[in-house]
Amino acid sequence: MRLDIRELGQFNRLASNGAERAARSLSQLTGIDITVEVTDVSLVTDEVLAETFSGQEFVGVQVGLAGGLAGETILAFERSNANVLQSLLLDRSGADRSLAQSGVSELGNIMIGGFIDGWANHLGEAINMTPPTYLEAQGTRILPRETMRAAGDKGVFLFESRLEALNENLDFSIYMLPEYGEFVEMLSRSPTEPTIPANKLRAFDGLAKRGAHRAAEQIGMMTGIDTDVNVSQIRFVTLSDVPATVGNDRSVGVVFTLSGMPSGYLVILFDEASATTVAEAMMPGGMAEDGIGTLTEGAVKELGNIMTSGFIDGWANVLGTSIEHSPPNYIYDMSSSIMSPVVAKLGQRQEYAFVIDSTIQLDGRTGQCDIYALPDERELAKTLSALPTTAG
Amino acid sequence: MPKRVLIADDSEFMRNLLREILADDFEIVGEAENGVEAVNLYEQERPDIVMMDIVMPIRSGIEATTEITQSDPNAKVIMCTSVGQEEKMKEAIKAGADGYITKPFQKPNVLEAINDVVPA
Repeated sequence: MRLDIRELGQFNRLASNGAERAARSLSQLTGIDITVEVTDVSLVTDEVLAETFSGQEFVGVQVGLAGGLAGETILAFERSNANVLQSLLLDRSGADRSLAQSGVSELGNIMIGGFIDGWANHLGEAINMTPPTYLEAQGTRILPRETMRAAGDKGVFLFESRLEALNENLDFSIYMLPEYGEFVEMLSRSPTEPTIPANKLRAFDGLAKRGAHRAAEQIGMMTGIDTDVNVSQIRFVTLSDVPATVGNDRSVGVVFTLSGMPSGYLVILFDEASATTVAEAMMPGGMAEDGIGTLTEGAVKELGNIMTSGFIDGWANVLGTSIEHSPPNYIYDMSSSIMSPVVAKLGQRQEYAFVIDSTIQLDGRTGQCDIYALPDERELAKTLSALPTTAG
Repeated sequence: MPKRVLIADDSEFMRNLLREILADDFEIVGEAENGVEAVNLYEQERPDIVMMDIVMPIRSGIEATTEITQSDPNAKVIMCTSVGQEEKMKEAIKAGADGYITKPFQKPNVLEAINDVVPA
């Protein structure tokens, strides 16, 4: 089946609207102002789900869907956030503590309804929802077994919206996982170009992961610091949301322009401490500068060059194309500001982007480096279509 | 005489919320957790208004509404729903619903919806 990229974009936009509605409902029920920072959709494997949900206790609400879209859908809150929301909800409604679970179930039901409405109206078909089921579980056990099985098999689409309370210390994500087969079928009903073969996207995900591992190895070789690829996934996001996804912390970044098939951009961001750490490690005898200066710039540019080559070389080989990269453009600024010019350039040709997002952990989680690859979507679609089924 | 209201919602939290909203101005004649209970309670109590959740176990709010309005064409049913899907609303109207409110709701919206269906 071929995924219609425009349709995927449309569903992402509808999910974004759904998250806005869900946030409004949540505000109304809890009495606190809640905004949606960003909504994106990723094709994720069971490994990524394990990483995303690891080490945390979740409270979830599961709703079964039938009709225009079938499957199990879950909305999950981290336990600490659920506790805060639960208290606010009960205080606001004057309900007894014994109604806490019922209140959270209804909250989830209303929020999921907010997502589903837009999708159903877009499809022109009713989507029937089962009554909500309240769940509590550790890690991925909050997810339906079928979701994990599908994630290990073909991957599943994970819609994630990050919400933030304006006057409370409350940031949290809500997750929606429609059933893979149903969702892919829906995106493939009447495809218009550009389209991507669904199975090739998973193959490309594998390719991107190997690229991330090669880039991590390059850091290890250049610095002697142990590295590990923490998360690597392909996210599909509205281009204008990309700066928000990287946040506003100051980063040391290098931006590369990719040319060939596919063209696009590759951005490597180090948090300040990690930039200093890798720069020091690259300098014989340590480094003699306070903070982020020219020595760090030189080191990060050099490292970025090598990481980028490692990241994209495998792509070119497997895709059977040639991909070149520009010299590094060094920027020390807020992460969102580093990303904005890239978004502006890509935005001349496309509204959405596949973002290959990899996090490399340095030496026992003391710091990290994020790699964002943003290929031209049309060229990516064309290249993946030509990819042999066995590739990846 | 206050109007008599039947609340049908599988969520105890929402039944509690509706009860709080309506208690001052209406007489709550019963609460149902599913569509079957809603139909039975309707037959027993013949309330002026039914506040009916769409998504309920055993029998949905739409099925219950169909049954109630078939047995009593003068029944007044307001769907209380977390979904605002157009197709779903068409189904509700076809089943005989007189109005709907979308959750989460607040007192003024609930009173307005009731007043539209059963003017004071």
